[in-house]
Amino acid sequence: MFSFTQEQKVFDISGISLGGQPGMYPTVLFGGLFFKGAPNFDDAKQHLLTTLEKGAQVGIPVIPDFFIRKIEYIPPILTFIEKIIPSNHPFSVDIIDPAIKIETLEQLASKKLLPRTIYNSIHIGITKEETEALRTYTPEAAIIVAFNPKDKSPDGKIEVLENGAHLCDAGLLETAHRIGMEKILIDTAALAPGENSGAAIAALPVIKEEYGLPAGCAIHNVVEKSRWLSEFPLAKKTVDVASNAAIPLFGGDYAIFGPMENADLALPLIAWQDILVSEYTENYFGITPVPSHPRRILLK
Amino acid sequence: MNDEYYPWGGEFTICSPQGCVAVVLLNIQYQPPGNVAIYGPLKTENIGIEKIIANTISNPWIRFLVICGDEIRGHRSGASLIALHRNGIDSNHRIIDAPGAIPYIENLKEEAIKRFQAQLKIIDLIGEKEKEKIDTRIAECIRKTPPCFGEPYIAIRLKPQATVNLTDNRALHSRIIVDYLGNVKKRGT
Repeated sequence: MFSFTQEQKVFDISGISLGGQPGMYPTVLFGGLFFKGAPNFDDAKQHLLTTLEKGAQVGIPVIPDFFIRKIEYIPPILTFIEKIIPSNHPFSVDIIDPAIKIETLEQLASKKLLPRTIYNSIHIGITKEETEALRTYTPEAAIIVAFNPKDKSPDGKIEVLENGAHLCDAGLLETAHRIGMEKILIDTAALAPGENSGAAIAALPVIKEEYGLPAGCAIHNVVEKSRWLSEFPLAKKTVDVASNAAIPLFGGDYAIFGPMENADLALPLIAWQDILVSEYTENYFGITPVPSHPRRILLK
Repeated sequence: MNDEYYPWGGEFTICSPQGCVAVVLLNIQYQPPGNVAIYGPLKTENIGIEKIIANTISNPWIRFLVICGDEIRGHRSGASLIALHRNGIDSNHRIIDAPGAIPYIENLKEEAIKRFQAQLKIIDLIGEKEKEKIDTRIAECIRKTPPCFGEPYIAIRLKPQATVNLTDNRALHSRIIVDYLGNVKKRGT
């Protein structure tokens, strides 16, 4: 359990606080929707509303992360966001294809949803057209993925943030600043086993001390890619969810924990871990948890 | 020949040791015939491609690379792999004219890429998902009985040079100091 000498930024993203010294704010969970196939809105509504309710019960904020795979999925997903997510609740859009990213930004702007949008993500593959679109339609916040294909260590992750590791024109932090993006969340880029997967966790305190920015990652992806775990199906689910506990333990601020349906397990796990961290950080570092923290809600 | 000849590991299935075909599965549920050398899925346009290169040039019997199934959205990994075979990489290690989001080859020497280009012929079946058609193209390749390419090429994974003194008493990282109570501060401050 850590405390940082560097001043820690805290971003209010449409009512949810992200960042700060460990133990002050609850860890934020990003739960994914629409990873595979055509979007199933009935299932998504059920998972989402149940999760938001359970999140409130344990004091863990949940942000839905919408995976948008095809251009034609954009309008129905944005309609779903407008109708189903409580007004002013933030959400993230998780898109790989630059063309779909740009089209989504335009449609988010036309629906006036940008002030609630977390853009997932900016990385070294950012195109000029995407940069321009982000300048024109700037979301409330963005996740910057610190993936450096030539150096997967925490140093390599810092290198892409600082100078783009000579893979792109500028460092990703500078790119974000040029766009006018102020609320930046760093994703430490969890990679497959054998690809320095542990560096995603080790980089959390390094990046927070270096920049004071909120940091997190999708560490559960490492579990998904651990093929040997397939021989232990029951344990695989447990390990997948449990992997997220390493994030608050190493000072991280958010976890992208995978499919929203795993929230039933992830929420109590993270609430428990946040309580553990808070008990130490308040006692030793004097970090008082906010009233909405799981420790304040669950330990009366 | 056993899996020691596929030194980079990854998500693949080994079949016939002297098979001349490796099959790259994009978005497809398909099991190639048992007389191919190796098959497995490709997901990413960087690390995934690197593993395919390393794990094909290590077996000189492999002369054809069949790429089948629907393209990986956004990553465009199949087309990026074909671009690498056709064009190689530029001075920034970016695959020339690759359509993928982050098509960089950072962990292989250029020599390994040249070997890949010389040893393997690409059979582009991107978009093809019909088992019979893919089986037919694989059978055509196998009927050609191409010779072994020569000695295995065992690619060495390039590692960044250590820039810190490893005798340092760091517990977590070179950039920060964490004391036993959890106080974190930058080194050198």
